[in-house]
Amino acid sequence: MSRIYRFLDERLNLGPLIRGIADHEVPAHADPLKNLSAMIYCFGGIVFFILLLQALTGVFLMLYYVPSPEDAYASVNYIQNETSFGSFVRGIHQVGASAAVVMVSLHMARVVFTGSYKKPRELNWIVGIFLLLVVAGFCFTGYLLPWDQKAYWATTVGVNMVATIPLVGDFLADALRGGKEVGSLTLVRFFVIHVMFLPAFLVFFLAAHFFMVRRQGLSRPL
Amino acid sequence: MVLPGAKNTLRRRAFFVTGIKALAGLFGLGLGIPLAGFFLSPALKKGRQEWISIAEVTQLRDGEPTKITYRYARKDGWRMSETRRMAFVLKQADGGVMALTNRCTHLGCGVDWNSVTQRFTCPCHGGAFDAQGRVLEGPPPKPLARLPVKVEADTIFIQDAYA
Ligand code: FES
Repeated sequence: MSRIYRFLDERLNLGPLIRGIADHEVPAHADPLKNLSAMIYCFGGIVFFILLLQALTGVFLMLYYVPSPEDAYASVNYIQNETSFGSFVRGIHQVGASAAVVMVSLHMARVVFTGSYKKPRELNWIVGIFLLLVVAGFCFTGYLLPWDQKAYWATTVGVNMVATIPLVGDFLADALRGGKEVGSLTLVRFFVIHVMFLPAFLVFFLAAHFFMVRRQGLSRPL
Repeated sequence: MVLPGAKNTLRRRAFFVTGIKALAGLFGLGLGIPLAGFFLSPALKKGRQEWISIAEVTQLRDGEPTKITYRYARKDGWRMSETRRMAFVLKQADGGVMALTNRCTHLGCGVDWNSVTQRFTCPCHGGAFDAQGRVLEGPPPKPLARLPVKVEADTIFIQDAYA
């Protein structure tokens, strides 16, 4: 391992890069080894870790999942009952989704209570809000994919909530559903939003989020 | 210059580094093994063998393989699919029945029985087999595969080769 690293380092001079990414001082007030309650500063990192798990398990679930009304339920059933570790992989993805929402909430609460959203970090708060929307989008679109009764009605209700927006609501709802009713088009577009559009937004906003944290450093508590 | 306590700090750091590596390794295995198993699951699965009735003994021609096309419902991933297959059935000298797949042992094209030349020929690379499925010429490395076969009350049953 270290020999491979030395080989690469000799040629590519990785040292400064790695120091730039991984080797920086944790400020004393955010160091859980000094003060256990500083764990609250880990919430964002935990969210990131969960998102990585979601991406990994999500990619593997796509090996079997088929986003069509005829096949969706049967393919999920197949994952669940006929593949090895299928219920485990899907279980991580399912529990991970809830865990992500919980940790995002805690992360936001920490940022609010330490006043970290204030100048000069307002921009990062705004990017964070976009990330919140992306995560919510993942949850909403992912919920439909098993194509069971719960999924179907949750989406029906969710999209009808969009329809209550004055003036443009109905149009937005139709655009989201791909028509007047939840059906094949809804399933495919929710799937594609879930596995292509949202991940792209996620990567973009996460990069901005991390860039700003590193530029500005952790805020001190109030 | 060695600072007082520097040794302890180093030991502590090394301890944490090893600990983190061990945890990461454990986590990697805990995730890697299930994910690999999940991916490989279809390759590791054994299909269930079922007897499929394909023909009556009276349908068989004497001294020549009889081409029999049969359909059956096969489990294809998460769905059942109606599959059409072909087999050649031959009455043996001892009165038994032999069934051969039409799947060439070279690269899997479908062979057909040619009653003029009295041999199976493969359209892909010129492989040829005799009535018993033995290789006569061309690239096929092995004789045609025999399917498990049984006869009950004059009905011929086989087990599919790909199940
Ligand atoms: S596949 Fe039959 S000869 Fe090549």
